[in-house]
Amino acid sequence: MGKMSVTTSKETVVGQPKLFPRWLVYAIIALLWWGIFGFLGKVGSDRISPSQMQIFFTLGMIPVALVCAIRLRFRIATEKLGVGYSLLMGIIAALGSLAFFAAMKSGNASLIAPATSLYPALTVILAVIFLKEKLNKVQFIRLILALVAIVILSM
Amino acid sequence: MPDWLILCLAAMVLWGIVGLLQKVTTNRISADAVLIWDRIGYVVILPLLVIHTHLHNLGPKDIIIGTLDGITNSLGALFLYMSLASGAKASIAVPLTALYPLLTVLLAVALLGEKVSPLHWAGIILAVVAAILMSLETPVPATVELPKAA
Repeated sequence: MGKMSVTTSKETVVGQPKLFPRWLVYAIIALLWWGIFGFLGKVGSDRISPSQMQIFFTLGMIPVALVCAIRLRFRIATEKLGVGYSLLMGIIAALGSLAFFAAMKSGNASLIAPATSLYPALTVILAVIFLKEKLNKVQFIRLILALVAIVILSM
Repeated sequence: MPDWLILCLAAMVLWGIVGLLQKVTTNRISADAVLIWDRIGYVVILPLLVIHTHLHNLGPKDIIIGTLDGITNSLGALFLYMSLASGAKASIAVPLTALYPLLTVLLAVALLGEKVSPLHWAGIILAVVAAILMSLETPVPATVELPKAA
């Protein structure tokens, strides 16, 4: 898979532009998978508890992580801080999906999927607080837009 | 505030922190490697969950749906990385994938019979637009390294 993608990246640079280049097909497939993920999250959460959901959700992730490991031929980066932060990231993301499943159990997917997809707004706010990043005018407007969207969805 | 909204906000804060960590991790190791270690992070808290959860009352259908949810979530991430690795401009591919909640909404309306008021449609569209705009400068793709093929 690694080999394939590298060849394609050369084609994209050298060859003629195609109507449906490989990257576009991949990006659309990513979109479709995530759309289905949100839907199945609702269907599953209606049937079983958030923690039950989280257990099987995690099991489902393992085969894909294995595919990634194969892509890297099991030469996986072991740089300490990178690994440590990635592990921490997984633990926090898991807690996030636990809350996501609990939300899905108590509300409509048509409101929760769009609302939770606004989490980058929180990243921006946290980056301002913890990484001392500056907020420009455009980013500020995006934040307000996200906030208004949440307020409307919660009405 | 309705229950679902409080839980949504909790998920957003936690995933917001994840976004922050993504900035740090992908600067240090490749996106594939981050995906692997981060999935291991999920597995780390699995024993805690299993201890506190009854699993005997589950049918095969429950198990299949839950597992498929994990598979589809990871496949989404994998295909986004593959898209970026095959020459996608991050400023196009990532905002494109930010459209996914719209698909979830359509599936929920079509298959689960959820009703969406005109006001909520406006909120959904606004949320998707905001998500697209925010993804324009998402930190992950800018620092993605191509997986070594050789």
